[in-house]
Amino acid sequence: MIYFDSAATTMQKPKCVSRAVAHAIDRMASSGRGDSSASLSAAEVMFQCRELAAELFGVPDPARVVFTLNATHALNIAIRSLVKPGDTVLISGYEHNAVSRPLAAIPGLHVRILDTPLFDATSFLNQLDAELEHGVDVVICTHVSNVFGYILPIEELAARCARWNVPWILDASQSAGTLPLDMTRLQAAFIAMPGHKGLYGPQGTGLLLCAGEADPLLYGGTGSLSAQQEMPDFLPDRLEAGTQNVSGVAGLLQGLQFVRQKGEGEILRHEQMLRRIMARGLFELPGVQVFAAEDDTRQTGVLSFRVVGHDCEDIGAFLSRHQVAVRTGLHCAPLAHKSADTQETGTVRVSFSVFNQTQQVGRFLALMRGYLS
Amino acid sequence: MLQYLIMCRSVTYAQKVVQTLERAGIRCRMIRSPSAISPSGCSYSVRIAQKDLSTVLTLLYRFRLPYVGIYVGSSEAGYREVEL
Repeated sequence: MIYFDSAATTMQKPKCVSRAVAHAIDRMASSGRGDSSASLSAAEVMFQCRELAAELFGVPDPARVVFTLNATHALNIAIRSLVKPGDTVLISGYEHNAVSRPLAAIPGLHVRILDTPLFDATSFLNQLDAELEHGVDVVICTHVSNVFGYILPIEELAARCARWNVPWILDASQSAGTLPLDMTRLQAAFIAMPGHKGLYGPQGTGLLLCAGEADPLLYGGTGSLSAQQEMPDFLPDRLEAGTQNVSGVAGLLQGLQFVRQKGEGEILRHEQMLRRIMARGLFELPGVQVFAAEDDTRQTGVLSFRVVGHDCEDIGAFLSRHQVAVRTGLHCAPLAHKSADTQETGTVRVSFSVFNQTQQVGRFLALMRGYLS
Repeated sequence: MLQYLIMCRSVTYAQKVVQTLERAGIRCRMIRSPSAISPSGCSYSVRIAQKDLSTVLTLLYRFRLPYVGIYVGSSEAGYREVEL
């Protein structure tokens, strides 16, 4: 199979990831729940993973790295902690439902959307300035659009939020593992990310990096302060109720080590190279509209396209019959499609990982040429 | 045998203490806190030798590592908090 759906999850992982998961299933018990070697080795893996994540993402204290099920879980905790009924929340026009749905569930919220054109960072920042001046309680922004690979100007956003003293949440679902992320420098209140995409961990893993206070989404046993009925007031226990996904975290640790060894910059360069070849090839095909940034540095290894007169779902089904995995439709991000004016048709999205090769792009283009001829 | 225990509020905090002490060349071990010193329920402690107590206290202070208390004793004789 040619797998071009890494923006959903990186299906191909380094071999060490599955080995670590299997080892943990065979040998490890519940972390923080006992004194046996099986429990202590589980705790050791959890701690090593926290530490490495803290090092990679500029978190000053590994206790501020919280394990979650996925980025959506992490975003729900962050949003529930920071956003209160009646608040005015500013979000980008490229947010995933993982942000917009939790906001829609909070009563009396005033959600303002930065409705700016695709790949236009200048408009984004101009409108951001105007909104901040108008008064905002919380800002939530994705680092990279999951549909278009558009890299939003979050460093500039961070500086503006700091100037206006507005707390903000970063959704790093599409950037963790490919773009530099430094919690301390960005001064975000929370950064949420999946473990199973650019960090090459197993599904069922995610991370929430916390700068300050946070409220639990789940309540239950933590292996600490068991005699009291309130959740502990310290991290990570406050946000990690119940038995943790030790085998998943063991795999995630290997994924993080792989990313560190390979280098985020190198991974990004490879994925961008594939995206450029794909975009050039698609541009040559009749009736194909490709969503590529003029400024190449504003786009990751994610590329959307659509074909005049062809349903995206038909293209996806055709590719699937030829053992090519892509993602079609609205990609759980109707806001992004509205911003790019593609909400009526959706798009076909191809997204790369470090394991994809140039020849696979060539095969894809040959298939598309055949489909359209 | 007398042992000194640095009681921490969770396994993660105990691990941070262990890591700091080991990096400084101090032998230590993370264990479950004896129930006699852990009235709030489950917690972990870091066991150290008496000779290292002064250095350990310096490191805890220098690296701002939070702990619940420091105890001395044994499972047979019981534990008492070390007053600092």
